[in-house]
Parts: sequence; C-alpha cells; structure tokens
Amino acid sequence: MSSIPHDHVAGHDHDHAHHPTGLLRWVTTTNHKDIGTLYLWFSFTMFIVGGCMALTIRTELFQPGLQIVNPEFFNSLTTLHGLIMIFGAIMPAAVGFANWQVPLMIGAPDMAFARMNNWSFWLLPPAVVLLITSFFVPGGAAAGGWTLYPPLSVQAGMGMDLTIFAVHIMGASSIMGSINIVTTILNLRAPGMTLMKMPLFVWTWLITAYLLIAVMPVLAGSVTMLLTDRHFGTSFFNAAGGGDPVMFQHIFWFFGHPEVYIMILPSFGIVSTIIPTFARKPLFGYASMVYATASIAILSFIVWAHHMFTVGMPAAGLLFFMYATMLIAIPTGVKVFNWVATMWKGSMTFETPMLFAIGFIFLFTMGGFTGLVLAITPVDIQLQDTYYVVAHFHYVLVAGSLFAFFGGVYYWLPKWAGRMYDEKLGKLHFWTSFVFFNITFFPMHFLGLAGMPRRIPDYATQFTDWNQVATVGAFGFGLSQLIFLSAVVKCIRSGEPAPAKAWEGADTLEWTVPSPAPYHTFETPPVVK
Amino acid sequence: MTDRATRLRASNVRTALVLASIALVFFFGIIAAEYMGGPTAAIGVMGSTVLLFLVVAIGRNLRK
Repeated sequence: MSSIPHDHVAGHDHDHAHHPTGLLRWVTTTNHKDIGTLYLWFSFTMFIVGGCMALTIRTELFQPGLQIVNPEFFNSLTTLHGLIMIFGAIMPAAVGFANWQVPLMIGAPDMAFARMNNWSFWLLPPAVVLLITSFFVPGGAAAGGWTLYPPLSVQAGMGMDLTIFAVHIMGASSIMGSINIVTTILNLRAPGMTLMKMPLFVWTWLITAYLLIAVMPVLAGSVTMLLTDRHFGTSFFNAAGGGDPVMFQHIFWFFGHPEVYIMILPSFGIVSTIIPTFARKPLFGYASMVYATASIAILSFIVWAHHMFTVGMPAAGLLFFMYATMLIAIPTGVKVFNWVATMWKGSMTFETPMLFAIGFIFLFTMGGFTGLVLAITPVDIQLQDTYYVVAHFHYVLVAGSLFAFFGGVYYWLPKWAGRMYDEKLGKLHFWTSFVFFNITFFPMHFLGLAGMPRRIPDYATQFTDWNQVATVGAFGFGLSQLIFLSAVVKCIRSGEPAPAKAWEGADTLEWTVPSPAPYHTFETPPVVK
Repeated sequence: MTDRATRLRASNVRTALVLASIALVFFFGIIAAEYMGGPTAAIGVMGSTVLLFLVVAIGRNLRK
C-alpha cells in the first residue's frame, strides 16, 4: 500500500459524544477509543509494576551474596516480572493500539463486538489482582519461572493456583479480543479497502490475532492439565504418577514461541507506519512485507523446541528445529531490508517516533542476531539458561516491542489527545532509554558467555563488575520512563493543539478525522479509491 | 436495524463463531490428545492443522 486516496472525510464532522461521565463512562464504555485508552493506561501501570520487580531483582544482583530478598522471593519476582510484563504490559499495550487504530485505519465506526470489547478489557484487572495477591498467600507467589514448568509448578503452593486462574482469565480476554479484531478487519473495512490496501499495522494485527486464537487455547489447556495434576489426581505432567514433564515443555513452547511473535508483529506494524511517514516515501515492498509477516507467523509454529535443546531430543529433531529457526531470519531480514530501503533517499526528519523506530531497527536486529546464535544447537547447549538468553530476549522485547510502542504513542498522541507532545521531552526520553537500555542489557551478553546462570539471587564474584553496570543501567532506564509519563501528561494537559494531519508524510485514514478523534468516527464509511 | 446492518451483524456472528470454534478445538484438543496418549502424533496433527488453517484463512481472503 503506498497511500490511500479517499474522496471524503465522512461521518465524523459532529461530536455526538452521548456517554456517561466519570467512572461510569470507563466501566461501561463500549467505544473503541475509550477501551483503547483503558488498555494503554492499564499496560503502562503494569509496566511500572513489573519494572519495580525488575529493579528489585537488579538491586539484589548489584553484588554477590544475599542483600535484600530471600531466594524464594527472588524466584517469585523473576516469575511474576515475566508474567506481568508479557500478559499485563506488552500484550495489553498491543491490544490498546489495535483498539484505537484498527477501526480508524480501516474506516470502521467501531469494533465488531463492542460489548465483548468492554468485557475483554475488564477481565484483565481481576487477573492481575490474582497474580499480585499470590505474593500474600501461604507459600508465596509462583516461583518456578514464567514458563510454569513441572515438577516445580505441580509441587508449588497456593500461589500457583492463583497464577493458573490468572492465566486462564488473561487467555480468555486475549481470545475474545482477537476474535473481535479479526471480525472487525474482515467485515468492517471501508468500501474499496481491499486486504492489500490495508495499512501494514492492520495486516500485522490480523495475523497476530490469528496466532492468538490458535495458541492461547493451547496454553489454557496446558495450565488446566497442571491444575488437574495438582488437585484432581491426574498425571499428565506429574512424573510421580507416570506423567511426562518434558511434554509440558513441548506444549508450553508450542504456545510460547508464537507468543514471541504475538508480541513483536504489532510492533513491526507500528514501525512500518512510522518510517514511511518520516521518510516521506511509500513503504518499500508492501506486498513482501505482508508475505514476510505471514511467513514469520507460519514458521513460528514449527520452531518451538529450540527453547528446549537440552532436554534430550533425537539428533534429527535438534537439526530440524535448528534449521527451521534459522529460516525465520529470511522473512525478518526482508522486513529490515524494506525498512532501510524505505528510508533510502527519503526526505527524512527525526522526530521522536522516528527515533524510536530507528532505535527499534538497530536494537531489534541485534536481538535477532543473538537469536540466530542461540538457534545453533551446540552453541545453545552451552548458553541455555544463561544471561546471554536474558540479554537476547530483552533486546527483542524491550528494544523491540516496547520501543515500537513508545514510538507509536508519540506518533498517534496528537490524534488521541488532540495536542502535540513536547518534542524535547520525547527526544530526551528516547536517548536516555536508548543509552540506559544498552548499559543494562549489553553486559548480560558477557555475563552469559562467561557462564552466569539466570534466575539466581547470588553469583560467583567474577560476575560482579558487569552486574553492577547492569544494575546502574536498569535504574537509569526505569527513571527514563518517568520522562515518558511526564511527556504524555504534559501533552494531554497543555500541549499545543494538533492539526487533523499532525505529520506531513502521514497518509492513512485516521489523519482525515479531526484531532482529537471525535467520540464517533466513520458512521458513514469513507470510500477508499 | 436496516437490512444491511442485520446482514452485517449475522456475518460478524458467523465469523466469530468460526474463530471461537477453532479456539475451543485447540483447548479441548490438547487436553484430549494428552489424555489419550500419543503426544507425538497429537502435536504433529496440531501443527499441521495450524499450518493448513493459516494457509486457508489467509489465502481465501487475498482476492477480496
């Protein structure tokens, strides 16, 4: 899709915002914009909660020995940090973007199932409450890692039950949200907007939603079996009763690897929207981007066992999963090439969204390369469960997903809030995040290569120096996010009024409606030529 | 509701039911496969189903 010529700006030139006010508005809302806002604030709150857990972990690791937490609590922190960041921060943020942007970008008046949309969101707070309360029950919170592997998860205390219920609820929320998004995209597109004219953000979400529908039930099924192993005498994964704990790992990663792409594909879509805008050129290779996204999604189903090279698989299995994993580099490379080619000879400017998009490409590519290193079976056998893996997935998920989301917030804030953000604050946020992110996570490659295992509260003294650097970086990165909060709050309260088309190079449908986007938009669908 | 709105509503519900049925099959399918044993075959069938599902789902909409 190069651009979408549309002959009108229809159906949104009035502001019929008939809705309750105050708290009731947010509890009962069925408006996609309100629900998108709820998702985004919720995910930011969870990002802060998960971030505080990360800072506690990093404080404990500032020097060898036990400082501030006991080992069991440390394990609970690593477990809950992972679960909250994945299910509470990254995924809801992506759904928040989808809620705000998908209807606006395809010219739909709202999501297909508005009431279900409200439900999808309001399932999340109770799920997170369950997760956090698990710290206060006998035995403490789940402590076996976010992967919930048996036998630890079969033997753990009541906190594990709360975690399992929370995963069920969050899974139900994700599935309902995905069904809504797929239905909206397939059935509510404006006349003339064929699939191959859709903005890439919408394409990435369509594919992500299919992935979610396929794999979230598998996770729900596996944790249900864990629950019956714990309380109803079954032995699916309980070795003591003849069950197979390794099978849990297979099933978990059949969900877990597509989950990685569930978190990154919407980010690809955001970056693919931002770069053409600030390069003032159409996206290079639109069709190849669509096919690359679909290829990544399909390949994500046949690579799960690269997460478990050390469990003792046959050599043929190891080779298959190694080569299949390496194949993913091809469509991913296509995407990176296309982003760079889009910028080539463009009239580029470097506003905050563009900085985050370029930062994303640079750091995500590094995370991708370390992923390739880990795909090599003999290397992975050495590096399994070391800090190298921690560095790898934080490069993909923090510098990947999170940086793209920051870019997306700055890009669409003028449309959402009707005001421009402070460019100086935005750039300060980018540069402090970029620098402190690398200070935090780059040394973890060295720690992993030197053999430091992950998920330990204490370590040998030779790892001290790089751990101290990482801890200092983590606090810097955490504090940088306060700049983000202040930039957003300042924008909402006192930013300069934004025009309907805030960015010169933007050409998608949302920029045809006024800023802020009226409560109801596209009640008469626009015609896309 | 107008005819168009009714048709759209029915179409939305149809799409949602198809997608929900896929989710239900995966949820109960993985439990049933584990319960009956034969995990290798079960995972193989699941993987092939997913591949086929994705190819068909994307392919049938490409020309719209």
